Amino acid sequence: MNLFSDIVVRSPWLYRINAGSCNGCDVELATTACIPRYDVERLGCRYCGSPRHADIVLITGPLTLRVRDKVLRVWQEIPEPKVTVAVGICPISGGVFRGGHSIEGPIDRYIPVDVNVPGCPPRPQSIMEGVLLAKKIWLDRLNGIAPGHKEERHVSLP
Amino acid sequence: MFRFLKLLGKNLAQGPSTDPFPAKEAHTPERFRGRVVVNPEQCVGCRICHHMCAGGAIRIEDNEEKTGYNFTVWHNTCALCGMCRHYCPTKAITLSTDWHNAHTQEDKYDWAAHYSIPYLACAGCGAHIRMLPPQLAARLYAHSPVDMTDLLKLCPSCRQLAAARREEISNDTHEQE
Repeated sequence: MNLFSDIVVRSPWLYRINAGSCNGCDVELATTACIPRYDVERLGCRYCGSPRHADIVLITGPLTLRVRDKVLRVWQEIPEPKVTVAVGICPISGGVFRGGHSIEGPIDRYIPVDVNVPGCPPRPQSIMEGVLLAKKIWLDRLNGIAPGHKEERHVSLP
Repeated sequence: MFRFLKLLGKNLAQGPSTDPFPAKEAHTPERFRGRVVVNPEQCVGCRICHHMCAGGAIRIEDNEEKTGYNFTVWHNTCALCGMCRHYCPTKAITLSTDWHNAHTQEDKYDWAAHYSIPYLACAGCGAHIRMLPPQLAARLYAHSPVDMTDLLKLCPSCRQLAAARREEISNDTHEQE
C-alpha cells in the first residue's frame, strides 16, 4: 500500500472564489477547464463545487468590501494543506481598482497567497503555469518538504 | 449508422485539438500584448506613460545624485492595455509577447523591470537634459535646412538662443544685400 501511494501522484482539486472580479479572469478560468484546447484536467486537476473538497484555490477580483467576509469564510472552509493562487492583477495589487472606496484588497492583506498569476486577464496557458506551480507547492506541503505555515494562516473574521 | 466512422477518420486526420502547452511551447500571436519593455535609449522622460497608466504600474523618479532617473514598471499591476505604448512620443515603450508571468509570493514585489536612465549635460549651459532621440529630431527638423546634430545636445532654452542667433545672422546678411 505504501509503494502504491509512493508511485501515485495525488491530484489536486481546484476551487474558484470570485472576490468581486469583473468576470474576465473567471471566463479565462472556465476556458482553462472547459475547452479541449487547454484542458486543465490533463494535469490531474479538476474543478469542484465545494470548498471542503478543494486543494488549490484560485481567487479572482480585488476583494470588495461587500464580499470580503464571505470570501474569508469560504477560504477557511478549505482543508489544509491548501495552496492559494491569485489570478489576475486585481487580487495581487488591486490593479486598476486600487485605492477605490469599496476595495479591501490586495488579497494578501487577509489571506496568505502562495502563487501570483498577473494579467488582465492572464491567458489560459499562463493560468496553467500558475496551477502547475501551485501543484508543486501543494505536493511539497503534503510530503512535509515545504512548511504549511498553518499557524500563520490563522485568519480572524472581522 | 456508420456516421461515426466518418467522424473517426476526420479526427484521426486532424489530430488532437488540445494545445500541448506544458510539454511544448504554446503559440503566441505576433501582436499579443505581453510584458512591457522600455528602450532606455529612446526614453526622454516626458512621463506621459506615467500619466496614462490606469494601473499605476509606471514610476519615474530622479535618482539620489540627480544624474538620471529610475524608470520602474511593476508588472503585477499592469493591465497590459498598451496605452503607454500608444502615447509614447518616441516609441520607447513596447509590449513584448512574453506572457510567462506565474511566480511565487516571494517574488511579488520583485516582479518589476527597473531601468536607470542617465541625464546628459546641455552643451550650452550644463543643465541636466535628455537628448532628443534622432528619430524625433528628424521629424521636428524635416522641413528645416538647419544642421541638427549640434542642436540635439542643447537644452530647450539654449536651442531657443541658438535659433535667435541664426535669425540674427540671416537678417544681417539680408540687410547687407
